[in-house]
Amino acid sequence: MDDLVKRHPLYAQLSRLDDDMEALQLRSVGPSPALAPADLRRQQLALQKELEAASDRANAALKAKQQEYAKRENDAIREALASAGGGAGPGGAAIGAGIDAQMQRQARDVARKAQANLDAYRKQVVAQDESALRAVQASLNERAARSYRTKLEQLQKKEADEALRLANENSGERLSLRTKLSNLVLDETQRDDARKQLEALDRKENDALAAMKNRDVATLNAYQNQLRAETGAEINRQASAMRARTLAKINKRERDTPTELATKLGLPVGGGTNGAPRTAQLPSDVRTKLEALHEKYKQDFTKDAKATIDDFQKTRAQLTNRFAKLQGVDNASLIAAQTQLTVLQKQRSQLYEQMVAQIGREVKLIAARRGINVVVSDVAGPSNAVDLTADAEKDIESLHE
Amino acid sequence: MRTLFHPRVAAAAAALVLAVAMLAPATLAADVTDIGYVDQTQLSNIPRFAAANRQLAQYKADLDRQFAARMRGVKNASDQGRIAQEFQNKMAARQRDALGPLFQRAQVAIASVASTKNLSVVLDKRIVIMGGQDITRNVIDLFNGVGDPVPPVSTPPPSSVGFVDQVQINALRKVKAANDDFVKFQQEQSNAAQQKMKSAKSDADRQQIFKDMQKTLLDKKKQTIDPMVDQVKRAIAVVAKKKNLLLVIDRSNLIYGGTDITSDVSAELK
Repeated sequence: MDDLVKRHPLYAQLSRLDDDMEALQLRSVGPSPALAPADLRRQQLALQKELEAASDRANAALKAKQQEYAKRENDAIREALASAGGGAGPGGAAIGAGIDAQMQRQARDVARKAQANLDAYRKQVVAQDESALRAVQASLNERAARSYRTKLEQLQKKEADEALRLANENSGERLSLRTKLSNLVLDETQRDDARKQLEALDRKENDALAAMKNRDVATLNAYQNQLRAETGAEINRQASAMRARTLAKINKRERDTPTELATKLGLPVGGGTNGAPRTAQLPSDVRTKLEALHEKYKQDFTKDAKATIDDFQKTRAQLTNRFAKLQGVDNASLIAAQTQLTVLQKQRSQLYEQMVAQIGREVKLIAARRGINVVVSDVAGPSNAVDLTADAEKDIESLHE
Repeated sequence: MRTLFHPRVAAAAAALVLAVAMLAPATLAADVTDIGYVDQTQLSNIPRFAAANRQLAQYKADLDRQFAARMRGVKNASDQGRIAQEFQNKMAARQRDALGPLFQRAQVAIASVASTKNLSVVLDKRIVIMGGQDITRNVIDLFNGVGDPVPPVSTPPPSSVGFVDQVQINALRKVKAANDDFVKFQQEQSNAAQQKMKSAKSDADRQQIFKDMQKTLLDKKKQTIDPMVDQVKRAIAVVAKKKNLLLVIDRSNLIYGGTDITSDVSAELK
């Protein structure tokens, strides 16, 4: 096949694609790192150390900033409370701290109770759900069993009716044969003949009944499968509905709990109990002022911290780049070369398939002309078969014209 | 088609040189009716195979994560090698468990269909240009059937299509010697070319180094590999004639049946 491919008019194009891929692969080889493995490892370790140091510095800076902003915020709040209490000094701060501590205690107690209530409620609802589901399962299974029994009885009655009908239908003939057999003057041949007829009659009836029973067994099996599937589907449907209802109940209770908590603690509904200063029992103008202070310091800290994080990320990017260069890998160009290589490989594969298909068509024509019905490629060596390669080469070459 | 001797893959490619060269680019034909073929791509798309492959892919993804976790902090090269081997063994065992019974079932289905249709040999569809009976659908139907496919009572009838196991031929002393000699030479050339690449100033320089290496390798191949390939081909031709075979293919393209002439070809080569 490869020889034929070389003779194909599109081979030049295929060859060019090979050259392009080869050139790309060659470029990606590039100059290898000139460092000895030990030096390379040493430099990698040094870079790793730098990266770790930069990470430690960034973390320390963030921690320091966090403490600094928290201190600044506390000072500002203390000052605001002092001025709200009628003058600067520890009086306002002490009031603020006292209120805060008391509220935290209350919040913890209320939250603990609320959580315990919620857990008990969840357990109760799940238990109810399970019990209801068991009842539904029992009821549906009982219904299915009843339906099955009814069907079974119907079929058994039909079988009994059919047995009776067959017996009645053949009763005349059977009586006649039995009468014949009771005749003492009957010779042995005649007796044997009558006996055989009687047996045939019995066999016919038995066969008909057996066939009916087989059909009924199959019907019952199918019906049982159908009932099982229907019951299973119904149980699943009801279980899903129950679970959805239970989940909705629990979700609602979970949603309501924070609202109840907030109401009990005197906090704005929807707001958390963490982070913001606990200011519910303060005059509204002081509360607004404290909330504004908290918001301001939070924003200042976020802005400052972002600058520190950005610095660290920049350092990390630089170090990563140095890592890559150290290993002789230029990631961007390598990825670009790989992408291009993939595209070229796809193009080559499509072109090759196209050429092979055309060669296949030509070979089939030659084989048909020579009355040959099987053609195989990629043989391991010469043998006794007809070699069509030369003919095919000629035909493929004629495609150039 | 040219073989790309990229320096980084040169060693791997070298091992294939003899095998590829021995698959002569000839198109042989015969007027026979007992040849069937199977499209292995279609077989691999059977839902049970596809499901097994999906499971294996999932298992591999999990294993990769576990492997990365285990390798974290392991500095010693021998420990790294041991862990890598352990995970490779796990993967191989799972592959055997998942695909082994399916391959076995497919083999029995192929044998059963071939026997029913009186085929003496079943080939891989990729090498059949024309003719032969496509039994892929029958095999898939039997594979997907409710019960287990029943293996044929008798062995396949004698076939006019012979096959050689290239792996065994490559293991013969003189063939292996020629191959090893070439691989060694190729490795040396590849190392030398890589050294030159370091001092190359431009792509054109690198291209030239690469072309020089290819030419040197081609010359060496003509000198060491090609005569061996000719000997093997001659041996195959002698055995094929003796056994009155119409075609001789490589074992890798055979699915079922055929006449194994590997030992005769080996004897002829000694």
